[in-house]
Amino acid sequence: MSQAGIAPTGKHLVVTTLCVNNTTHEISLDSRVTLLDALRDVLGLTGTKKGCDQGACGACTVIIEGQRVLSCLMLVAACEGQHVVTIEGLAVGDELHPMQAAFLHCDAFQCGYCTPGQILSAVCAVEEVHAGVPSHVTPEVRQTVNAVTLTDEEIRERMSGNLCRCAAYPNIVAAVRQILSAEVRS
Amino acid sequence: MKAFAFQRVTDAEDAVRALAARSGSMFLAGGTTLVDLMKVDVLTPDTIVGVRPLGLSSIDVSDEAITVGANVTNSHLAWHPVVRDRYPVLSEAILSGATTQIRNMATVAGNILQRTRCSYFRDIHALCNRRQPGSGCDALNGFNRGHAVLGVSEHCIATHPSDMCVAMAVLDADVHTVRPDGTKRSLPFGEFHHAPGDTPHVEVSLEHGELITHIVIPHLPAARRSHGVRDSLAAAFGVDPADVRVLVPFVGGAFGAGLRVWPHTILAALAARVTKRPVKLVLTRAQMFTSIGHRPNTIQQLSLGATRDGQLTAIEHISTSSIGMSDELFYPITNGTTDGYACPNVTTRATQIRQSVPTPGWMRAPGEAEGSFALESAIDELSYALGIDPIELRVKNHAHVHPESGLPWSSNALLECYRKGAERFGWSARNPKPRSMRNGRQLVGYGMARAALIAFQPACKAIASIRRDGTAFVRSGATDIGPGPYTVMTMLAADCLGAPIERVQFSLGDSAMPKAPAEGGSGLTGALGNAVQAACVDLVRAFVGRVTADASSPLKGCRMEDITVRDGGIQITDDPARFETYAEILARHGLDEITVEGESAPPGETSSTAMVARAGRFVPFTAPSTGARAHAGAYAAHFVEVHVDPDLGTVRVARVVSAVDGGRILNPKTARSQIIGGIAGGIGMALLEETVSDRTGRLATTSLAEYVVAANADVRDVEVLFVGQPDSMSPLGTKGVGELAIAGMGAAIANAVYHATGTRVRSLPISIEKVLGNEA
Repeated sequence: MSQAGIAPTGKHLVVTTLCVNNTTHEISLDSRVTLLDALRDVLGLTGTKKGCDQGACGACTVIIEGQRVLSCLMLVAACEGQHVVTIEGLAVGDELHPMQAAFLHCDAFQCGYCTPGQILSAVCAVEEVHAGVPSHVTPEVRQTVNAVTLTDEEIRERMSGNLCRCAAYPNIVAAVRQILSAEVRS
Repeated sequence: MKAFAFQRVTDAEDAVRALAARSGSMFLAGGTTLVDLMKVDVLTPDTIVGVRPLGLSSIDVSDEAITVGANVTNSHLAWHPVVRDRYPVLSEAILSGATTQIRNMATVAGNILQRTRCSYFRDIHALCNRRQPGSGCDALNGFNRGHAVLGVSEHCIATHPSDMCVAMAVLDADVHTVRPDGTKRSLPFGEFHHAPGDTPHVEVSLEHGELITHIVIPHLPAARRSHGVRDSLAAAFGVDPADVRVLVPFVGGAFGAGLRVWPHTILAALAARVTKRPVKLVLTRAQMFTSIGHRPNTIQQLSLGATRDGQLTAIEHISTSSIGMSDELFYPITNGTTDGYACPNVTTRATQIRQSVPTPGWMRAPGEAEGSFALESAIDELSYALGIDPIELRVKNHAHVHPESGLPWSSNALLECYRKGAERFGWSARNPKPRSMRNGRQLVGYGMARAALIAFQPACKAIASIRRDGTAFVRSGATDIGPGPYTVMTMLAADCLGAPIERVQFSLGDSAMPKAPAEGGSGLTGALGNAVQAACVDLVRAFVGRVTADASSPLKGCRMEDITVRDGGIQITDDPARFETYAEILARHGLDEITVEGESAPPGETSSTAMVARAGRFVPFTAPSTGARAHAGAYAAHFVEVHVDPDLGTVRVARVVSAVDGGRILNPKTARSQIIGGIAGGIGMALLEETVSDRTGRLATTSLAEYVVAANADVRDVEVLFVGQPDSMSPLGTKGVGELAIAGMGAAIANAVYHATGTRVRSLPISIEKVLGNEA
């Protein structure tokens, strides 16, 4: 399958420079290699998970230039000069990112396979809420000031790009809510 | 994926020239369509020209119009303040599709040019005039529930999947392009896409190499399992099991798929043998629908007899389920009906029919999940026929002893589940009449069902050590597929040894460790927990044996019944001053560690073979302390509120309350998560999940876009209450809660849908067509 092209051989090698978790890599790969396979198999960053490999489950979510995207549908060759953040880039040393700590506290995972994608997605969802951008359940997309009231409905909708077969959903909502209410308090 | 050249360009003229130079070349923008379809060989460009570096990613607002660059992402457009203000229909249309991640990648031009989601288009082995002109159309007589009704032709009935394009068409947008010869033009949105007609492969009015540069929208007027794998691999390759080591420290999910060894494991080992290199094998999502088992299809017939005052007199439950052509699978659909209610006449029969289908496998609550849908739906129908409240009817027919053997239950708090669950849910506010409750224009329905899962405990071993530094190391060759044996066993061992939890390490997932069963049948916590407890208690006993004859120990002369464990050591219960740590004892005796093996056995009359051990679910257990025989099981009562749109037939599960008797709950946090997972699985089973094979036997639902599972937004207000007492049949007192909650959920939701709508849906999933009464 698509993994066959992972070795730096092949008819169409493309040299790409990209920055992952603040480390710059210049990698020469077959043009077919996705960012997901490159992260896992070339850079050894296995925190990013392959779920469906077809853009439907969210397990491979990474943050590129501040936005959550799916690494399974992204060719490395198309990431020239991009800044990528994976789950390995979230904690500072031994200090967990607040969202990671909230997931632990709320038991927001069971088998853990979708968890890296869930956490990165949640980090961006919070940013999107701060930016006031609407979702499918935002009552009035025209309103731009104080546009988003962070109801559980909003969190659920915004976190619905990441499937969890164990269905830790209520606890994931609790974790995101915990972060947002902590921000409100401080 | 086929090989291709990747070309970078810096301006639009370069891009169109590069593309026009080769007939097999394609532009790549966000990749959400192209990369996806290249992976399945539906699109096989020989050259890719990346257009993201061209810029074209701004949104410019003027008094007359808004100009959207071709590379603007769907998110950028939907979230843009002016778009939100002036064209809310566009924001809403974009936000209604896909996910945030996809919308962050997908571009506006890519969205316009995206390809149909027709599953035959996406399958190169199917006939499709759109993909391969003149080949035919398998969708015409295939799985086409989501296909077009208007604008179809005899050659194609596929739809364009974009919601955004509908809004663009409504807004009279224009598509601006640059052609390979450098000329520019604009096309009205309404003329851009073509209906299939005689040339379904001609989808849009672009020539090869023509690049969309921007869109102009005018302003509107006022507008698991380590030992099983080891043994299977050893048997397959004719090698000594001792020469095979399986490491599975983490397993993602499984839900039954890990209960046997599937072909890909053997194939990976075979490939490694042939190539003499490490081999990694990754199944595609489509392969997972055919090669790692699935819940079998069932057809069930259920008949009930009752007196006018609601006393059950007869139950007949007949099931036919699918099985593959060659495999065996013990899958008792009707088993839960044999002891579900106090009823003098019960007959059940479960038959399997061999079909040319992939081999089914045990899926979460095998038998109970399917059988309870029929039984609990029928009990609900009976309650309406008799005019008796569904809870009252169940209480009236509660089995106070096992209805077949007459033996007692080891513990059974089902009546408490009904009472406390109903109270918490607010069942008393329910108007019993169907279609009588509303929330705005939504029909509201309250439904409930009983859930039961007979307790299962296979044999298991564990080893526990305490080392010179006072740390404990406990391990067993079990797996953790998510329910949390790592956490719970660490807690249990710490408790049994009186050791601080941070000084206890629990490991699993290695076939070199003591033999443990697969994580399945809701039996691992009981089996492993009893083994860990036995090992830890015997470890303490071994320390007591060392000190009781030791004149220099403050514990000299103590017996097991005299002591308490605490703070990493042992004290005489009545004299806290007589205390010594494990580390001190080891040091004085010059030992590096003491290690003890513990095991647990099924508390029933079973032999050690796997099949009979599994059948151990269905025979009485024998209490270890008293020798008394009894039947053991876990119980729950589900209460569900659904909201149904009376015009659209859409069903939303607004809230769920489940009251659960799982015996002793070792860790309320992780146990609650298990129940929530079962409830969500039940929501998927009831409303969303369906494997469809068309007339030719081809599976039509082999991606997560077609086989729909519950997403976060589908699982709303869920509350779990634990009731009951530790069970007497097991030293640990647990009964197993991993599968319990998916049992009964299908019926609870169907019963709520009936209460909301007056429409009884007897087949799953409860789709819109069935709710609207157009399909049984």
